[in-house]
Amino acid sequence: MEGRLANAWRLTVNDKNFIKTALLSEIRIDGRKPFEYRKISIKFGREDGSSEVQLGQTRVISIVTAQLVQPYRDRPKEGMLSIFTEFSPMADPSFEPGRPGELAVELGRIIDRGLRESRAVDTESLCILAGKFVWAVRIDIHILDNGGNLVDAANIAALASLLTFRRPECSLGGEDGQEVIVHPPEIREPLPLMVHHLPIAITFGFFNNESILLIDPTHNEEAVMNGRMTTTVNANGDICAIQKGGGEGVPQRVIMQCLQLATSKAASITKQIKDAVEAFNTERALRKIKRHPTSTGVDVREKQNQ
Amino acid sequence: MEVDREDGRSQNQLRPLACSRNILHRAHGSASWSQGDTKVLAAVYGPKAGTKKNENPEKACIEVIWKPKTGQIGKLEKEYEMILKRTLQSICILTVNPNTTTSVIIQVVNDDGALLPSAINAACMALVDAGIPMRHLAVSICCCVPRSGLVILDPTKLEEQNMKAFAYLVFPNSVHSVLPEGSLSVQGEPIENGVITSVTHGVMSVDDYFFCLERGRAASTKLSDFLRRNLQHQSTDSSKAG
Repeated sequence: MEGRLANAWRLTVNDKNFIKTALLSEIRIDGRKPFEYRKISIKFGREDGSSEVQLGQTRVISIVTAQLVQPYRDRPKEGMLSIFTEFSPMADPSFEPGRPGELAVELGRIIDRGLRESRAVDTESLCILAGKFVWAVRIDIHILDNGGNLVDAANIAALASLLTFRRPECSLGGEDGQEVIVHPPEIREPLPLMVHHLPIAITFGFFNNESILLIDPTHNEEAVMNGRMTTTVNANGDICAIQKGGGEGVPQRVIMQCLQLATSKAASITKQIKDAVEAFNTERALRKIKRHPTSTGVDVREKQNQ
Repeated sequence: MEVDREDGRSQNQLRPLACSRNILHRAHGSASWSQGDTKVLAAVYGPKAGTKKNENPEKACIEVIWKPKTGQIGKLEKEYEMILKRTLQSICILTVNPNTTTSVIIQVVNDDGALLPSAINAACMALVDAGIPMRHLAVSICCCVPRSGLVILDPTKLEEQNMKAFAYLVFPNSVHSVLPEGSLSVQGEPIENGVITSVTHGVMSVDDYFFCLERGRAASTKLSDFLRRNLQHQSTDSSKAG
């Protein structure tokens, strides 16, 4: 469907000036300081590998699934990792259904680079039979509510769901050992993925005035800012990826300042993700203990003697 | 004759229901509905200017977008979109805002049986949250006929796969009205007895189908009460400032 006038959301000139003037005194419209992150809440669904992250008003869910496929010819011993991002029309009136727009593609690419090229997920452990069967892990990211800074929220959701995902255990069998038997989860406990480190994406916003720099923009601030940079760093201090596509030019010392800031933020976010995953794993283990069904549904009595 | 269900429910018991309204900030109306482990999120944007190409510009148009949990959008999703659209078109008052489009977006968060009924319930709550004018609400239930035994309500995914046939039924919700008795009935029958939508899968006898309708209708009164309590409770303590 063509974009309609009603879908375009524009910030008024008064709003823009207000945001910029407030930033000169280091005040943001939601009361945060320039280098403060919004509250992050990480929740998990009942199944393994599904997570929901809320970063302020931004809401993202991520689902991880895996399938046995044939590997690529030039990489017969490696599994596959693919990321699909859906900017659901639920999140923003300007998101259209159908083919992903450039923002969705960029978001997918940033998360993909952070995970794949930094070798955060071990793809060699996904190989079952070299050249014949490997696991292809698929991450589906659905954006539910656009409150700004979708990249960071989607990244945290993808990491949380990867850490809680479990793939079925399989063993080689058959006469010549070439057949793969996939064990159902009731028989053999499924295995987690091997994740070496957690690359966290941190987004910065730049403005015309060099002294204004902020972290984690809301969607109002995104409409006002003149440039953005997303750095993907991990808690060890390694830089996994930097994405700065055009926009306002920034001096080198500001980039260095951003990188240092990103590393300290990454440490606290990594801890938060790990704590949430720990809590989920404990709860999952408790659930494995068979309990008497306690759920009482709504009882519907049938009509008496019609 | 009691049917032995895995989670210990009797044949007439529904799974625990949970719903909440106004959970998203950008959407004009939003709701989340869960029956047991099946969870669906619905968001409504509207009314927006303009209707789609083949739609009548003298009436409001309703557009439904169904987003599955994972994978490509295929024929099943398109079928769900069409059923949901026709159901919602029959309950909304389309002449109030002519030449506008209201978009309803459904996101499946988890599918554990009775997915379409949960989606219809969630969509109704979201339309109420957005303030779209409607004649009455719709409540939806899934009834299934097992190979042997009596009709059971609200199956889980495992139960659905082992059934001989099942039916998704949508009824109007029960009406509490200040108007005198009889003015809201159609041809002598109260409005709650009507069936808005019925989708069946599999083969069932005519008697079984009527049995499903009767059970479904009884369940829909419980669902209507739940909806009404939930909507009243939330509207008294929510303030939409900011």
